Amino acid sequence: MVWFSKLFAGQNAQALHLTSRQLQRLAAWQTLPAPALSRSHYRSRYVLIDIAIAGGDWKDGPLGSIGALALTDGLIDLSAALQLPMVDAAAATDAAGRPLAEAEQVSLTPTPISGEQRGEALLALLDFVGKAPLVAYHASFVARRIERVLAETLGVELDLPWIDLAWVMAGLFRELGDKQARLDTWLEHFGVPSIERHNPVSDAYATAQLLQLTLARAAQKGFETPASLIKLEKARRHLYPSA
Amino acid sequence: MSNEATELLVSACIQSLQAYPPFDRMEAEWLRFLAQRVKLAHYPKGARILAKESGVARTLHILQRGRVDVLRSGGDRKLESSSLTLGPGQSFSIGALMAQRETVGAYVARDDVFCYELAAEDFFALTQKSTVFNLFCTQYIAGLLRQSQQQLQLQLAQRAAEQKTMNSPLSTILTREPVAVAVDTPVRRVVELMASQHLGSMVVVDGEQQPIGIFTLSDILKRIVLPGASLEQAIAAVMSPAPQTLPLAANAHDAALLMAMHRVRHVLAVDEGGRLRGVVSERDLFKLQGAGLRQIRHAIDAATTIAVLQHARDDVRQLALTMLSEGVGAQEITQFISTLNDAVTRRVIELNLERHDFYGIDWAWLAFGSEGRDEQTFTTDQDNGIVFICTDIMDREQTQLRFLDFAREVNDDLDKCGFPLCKGNIMASNPELCLTLEEWEEKFAQWVRTPEPLALLNATIFFDFRPLHGRFNLAHRMRLSLLRQTQGNPLFLRMLAQNALNVAPPLGRIRDFVTDGDPEHPGTIDLKKYGVRLFTDAARLFALANQVEATNTVARLKRASSVMKISADETAAVVDGFNFIQMLRLRHQHFEQEHGRSGDNLIRPDELNEVERHMLKESFRQARRLQVRLKLDYQI
Repeated sequence: MVWFSKLFAGQNAQALHLTSRQLQRLAAWQTLPAPALSRSHYRSRYVLIDIAIAGGDWKDGPLGSIGALALTDGLIDLSAALQLPMVDAAAATDAAGRPLAEAEQVSLTPTPISGEQRGEALLALLDFVGKAPLVAYHASFVARRIERVLAETLGVELDLPWIDLAWVMAGLFRELGDKQARLDTWLEHFGVPSIERHNPVSDAYATAQLLQLTLARAAQKGFETPASLIKLEKARRHLYPSA
Repeated sequence: MSNEATELLVSACIQSLQAYPPFDRMEAEWLRFLAQRVKLAHYPKGARILAKESGVARTLHILQRGRVDVLRSGGDRKLESSSLTLGPGQSFSIGALMAQRETVGAYVARDDVFCYELAAEDFFALTQKSTVFNLFCTQYIAGLLRQSQQQLQLQLAQRAAEQKTMNSPLSTILTREPVAVAVDTPVRRVVELMASQHLGSMVVVDGEQQPIGIFTLSDILKRIVLPGASLEQAIAAVMSPAPQTLPLAANAHDAALLMAMHRVRHVLAVDEGGRLRGVVSERDLFKLQGAGLRQIRHAIDAATTIAVLQHARDDVRQLALTMLSEGVGAQEITQFISTLNDAVTRRVIELNLERHDFYGIDWAWLAFGSEGRDEQTFTTDQDNGIVFICTDIMDREQTQLRFLDFAREVNDDLDKCGFPLCKGNIMASNPELCLTLEEWEEKFAQWVRTPEPLALLNATIFFDFRPLHGRFNLAHRMRLSLLRQTQGNPLFLRMLAQNALNVAPPLGRIRDFVTDGDPEHPGTIDLKKYGVRLFTDAARLFALANQVEATNTVARLKRASSVMKISADETAAVVDGFNFIQMLRLRHQHFEQEHGRSGDNLIRPDELNEVERHMLKESFRQARRLQVRLKLDYQI
């Protein structure tokens, strides 16, 4: 079956030194059916993804960790969440195991985890995501980083729809004006508590609750499926190219 | 799954739950068990989170944020105003979940609501694992029970309150807006107003609407017509000044007292500013004087005509309602109704005896069925008979004819007083039921010796006899002879047991209740046929087998169980079950009659609240226990 997996895993898979077991998992993910986007929100599975950037450069710093959480049939399952460290956790803590203060972290260059660990982590991510539509706040930033690390590590193209809550919420809730608001502003507006801000799982959890609020509002306004949210976002991006 | 991520969310959930009971006291292990199994759901404002139509409750909802309105819908539409709001940390619907059925009320999101949801199987697992949670749920159910009883009493109290009493404040008695005139109004105008508005009195007020005088119909005669006073003069000249006033908060008693003290027929109700708010007349107060038990008894015993007795029967019903609302038990109420019905019956008999002379003949009027058991409800028909002694066999026919004549009149009069004639002709005017002592004894012996179906049916009616009038010792002799017969006849008792087992408690294997016993009334349970009867049949059998003379079901159960070595607790549970069903019947009949229907015994379990369903189920279980006992005792 190895040849079969290689066939699907892309040309450069071999160059990435994936084990045959890893190639099989990758192939299994790739053969999953495309996401169903035309069922009701409350019959769909969304996966929320958030990332943390290691080091001080939030834009171009190395990927620190990935958090993922699913919203299935409108419900958040607390015991089905994923946190994948992309850097060596020890590097960001001092000798006693306490996390370093931010100022100290900046001066450190985080050590990325090994390629093999990275491959395992991302395969776990793909297993978790399946072919569900992905949701994030400022999705393009998250998508770029996730897709890049997938391509680099597994040589795979994600090819899943991303829904950007920043755009969708601005379109559905006029309470905060027409402009896109910051995530914190929405969280505060809806009284969504944050367990540990900037922890990707915590942020994904908070975003998932925003998504729940969004889905209810969307359904009321006639946007009843994932596909309709994607359409709504596209229309708004078209309408406000500068935003 | 990644433990680190899950751990973060689970501990956050634990932390948010720990702010509220019972989670603050819950064992750490089981709180974690809970947090690992809940899912977070969101409901937008106005969403019906849980309602009757969502079917059997499958999820426990624990509010995390937001508020939920609980809209209660009682069986009676008018009374569904009571509602409740739940906040963070509160759970619903434990009652429905535990009973595995749909909720009674509807749970509606008041704003954006986030709640943790726990599947039913995890909920049940949790109640088994966590003692704290289990206790919480049990107490919750017990709380519901109290609430339900309070609610029931509140509902009935509201009804009772609508029938105002002498303790009612004047503000609730006043029915119409006061009509008043100024001091300078001409008498002619005042009289015209009184005539056109059918007023018995006219209040005269000053500029501040404070009453300064009153002018009544009788004043017209005494002060205008007889003295020939001018109709054009101002009312001030002829009114009675300084009328008697009371604050609105004073009650009818106060008004009656004031009227008696000052020999007036009107009292004016005024507000804090002394302004006129209404007029209470002596007639208003008469209407208020509801009858108490003593007055009713007195009225019955003093009645000289059937018409008076007819009123008494309405009073009985009214007082029974009041007792129901005051939380008096079903046993006491049925006994009370029976007692007063006895009094009415006795009075009817006495009135008829004035035209029928049975001097020198020993006889007694017997009551059968529910009346014989002292268990009458609001709807009851006649079940009666006569026993007499005939010393000379030659006189027997003649004597019976005289009693039949008398009985026919009594039966008719009782019918007029609200005890309808018995459709099955179980009445003293039936020659079969107007018999000498020997004939009754022979009849009973016959039924006991050959327990064919009809004999068994008769046994369930006639063996519950009780004397109402005449020589009570005749009934006692009948009782002793009956007990002699039954005691020595195990076959009869066994057949009677079999007969009692013909009807099983309407408990379903899958559903709570079997509600299709009667194809003409689907969705209902006949509480007489499938409820009360199960208890009375078993109690009768216990009594006949154990030489218990009592006819009342509760008395029979209590006395027989001491002979049968059944524990007092067990008996008390059976009696509670019986009384609960009787209470439901009373309430149902009362409501039915209030809506102008003849009170039947068909209740819809769907319309009961959670606790009542629980209790009804438990009551039927008690009936089943009685039946199991019969099966064991008689090897059926």
